[in-house]
Amino acid sequence: MVPVEWYLLLAVGLFCIGLFGVLTRRDALYFLMSIELMMNAANINFVAFALYYGDLTGQVFALFVIALAAAEVAIGIGIILVLYRNFGVTDVTVPTEMRW
Amino acid sequence: MGNVLPPVTALLPVLLLAFTGLALLLVDTVRPDARSNTSSAVAAALGSLVALAATVWLTVTGVGSADAGGAVLLFADAIKVDTMALFFTAIFASVTSLVVVAAHDYFHDHADPAAFYSLVVFAATGMALLAVSNSLAVVFVALEMVSLPSYVLVAFFKKNRGSVEAGMKYFLVGALSSAIFLFGISLVYAATGSLILSDVGDAMGSLDGLVGIAGLGIVMIVGGVAFKTASVPFHFWAPEAYEGAPAPVSAFLSSASKAAGFVVAFRLFTEAFPVGASLAADINWVLAFGVLAAVTMTLGNFAAAVQEEVKRMLAYSSIGHAGYALIGVAALSADGSGNGAVMGAAMAHLLVYGFMNTGAFLFVAMAERWGVGRTFQDYAGLARRAPVASTAMAVFMFSLAGLPPFAGFFSKYFLFMGAIDNGFVWLAALGAVNSVISLYYYSRVVKALFIDDPESSSSLDAVDVRPTALYAAVVFAAVATVLLLPGFGPVIETAEAAASALF
Repeated sequence: MVPVEWYLLLAVGLFCIGLFGVLTRRDALYFLMSIELMMNAANINFVAFALYYGDLTGQVFALFVIALAAAEVAIGIGIILVLYRNFGVTDVTVPTEMRW
Repeated sequence: MGNVLPPVTALLPVLLLAFTGLALLLVDTVRPDARSNTSSAVAAALGSLVALAATVWLTVTGVGSADAGGAVLLFADAIKVDTMALFFTAIFASVTSLVVVAAHDYFHDHADPAAFYSLVVFAATGMALLAVSNSLAVVFVALEMVSLPSYVLVAFFKKNRGSVEAGMKYFLVGALSSAIFLFGISLVYAATGSLILSDVGDAMGSLDGLVGIAGLGIVMIVGGVAFKTASVPFHFWAPEAYEGAPAPVSAFLSSASKAAGFVVAFRLFTEAFPVGASLAADINWVLAFGVLAAVTMTLGNFAAAVQEEVKRMLAYSSIGHAGYALIGVAALSADGSGNGAVMGAAMAHLLVYGFMNTGAFLFVAMAERWGVGRTFQDYAGLARRAPVASTAMAVFMFSLAGLPPFAGFFSKYFLFMGAIDNGFVWLAALGAVNSVISLYYYSRVVKALFIDDPESSSSLDAVDVRPTALYAAVVFAAVATVLLLPGFGPVIETAEAAASALF
């Protein structure tokens, strides 16, 4: 069996790739994909440690997270759609009606 | 009560809110063409008021209190109804009913207002669920249940560029922080092997080599809490979202959603990461919260002082108040006898804040409804045409500033005294200095309303529109703020008893 530390390293690596994408990409759709990567990194942890501890809580919660991530993407796509209709772009740095 | 009624009765407020939201959605789906603004508003207000009544009834009958056999545990310990949960549910239900009543006039010419009411009630359901959650899984699900409707509510004016931009920024920061929060939960699960808060708390005592993983997870969870409460370092969405969102939504987010963030913080950092075990394991989140509280209140108050728009000023002031309430977790100590007192004072402050801040944002909603403009100058002389509403606004401002004869003074006083008793004099001193600064910008609003002359005599003609429901909500919030003055004794006693039961 693969030691659980390797799963943890994989999850942390995936999370960092997602975080890097969030911080560097200006397109809202790439942003959503990066968020998905970060959430799935957490899922790897849940599933791996559910096996390690021998209880199902983590696996079941991973299923919950998948459903929630889908809901979040649905909301996000909706907001990106109205963003595109109002500003004509999906670049998150363009809309500056208000100052930061 | 457990002898007479099934234990699930303790979940009545959550269930009532959920059914109200579903019923609104159902009616809107079956009869989409009906001009349903009034009926939806009435249904949503009734639902949240009945939920509030159920919460008060449960509190009075003593559900979850130590006398009645302690907290009610449901669904394999994933749900825990105690007095703190009921206290916060009362805040959520009150703010929700005020907001939906006010929204009736605010959305008088909107094409599809029914969606608004169901989204607000769904978010309130999520908040009530958050208050009773006793498992990290339920915490995350409930947190998303609050966040997802909130993103949509901020962007509710689909053709208003400010509203859409605010919704986008709120969503981006929110999605990022919930991903970080989730990864934090996964690390805590990796270190402790459980998601039930009390089991996590037990495992905190024997972490061995996993302290680093647990510590990193806790730091990430602090980040998620900071987003929900609009505290540094995840505060910068708040001014944008509150300014761009429809004003009733700003009221809802800055009062109820912020309190929801605090109920998570209070629950997690008493039960899952108890202060004694955390400090023993060298995970000093008390210091982290202390720094966050100090930076948050200072930044919020200084930024509020330089704003020209009233709504944006209120947004920064709500960041400042998040800093005060954070004292409730920042001023805990391992052997502190005053832990319950300071956390209870923070809870009482959030209740008072729920009324005065909602009222202030609803006054802004009324100004938007009148169309008088957004800056301090635009508010000049409003008291001549709208004396009742302006007096209510003055009550909110002085109470937010914490002037002695108002309820905001008592809650801050108990909060700072609790911090001093627990040995955190520096936090209390900083809070007091910040309160003095805040008096400057709050009194600017009162000065504009009552003393300044309007720019022209015709600029106030718009005020002749009388939005009845908005008026009623603002006046009711003011009456509640004033009534909390004589009623503060029972409130602080309930809050301190609820908080003491957590330690």
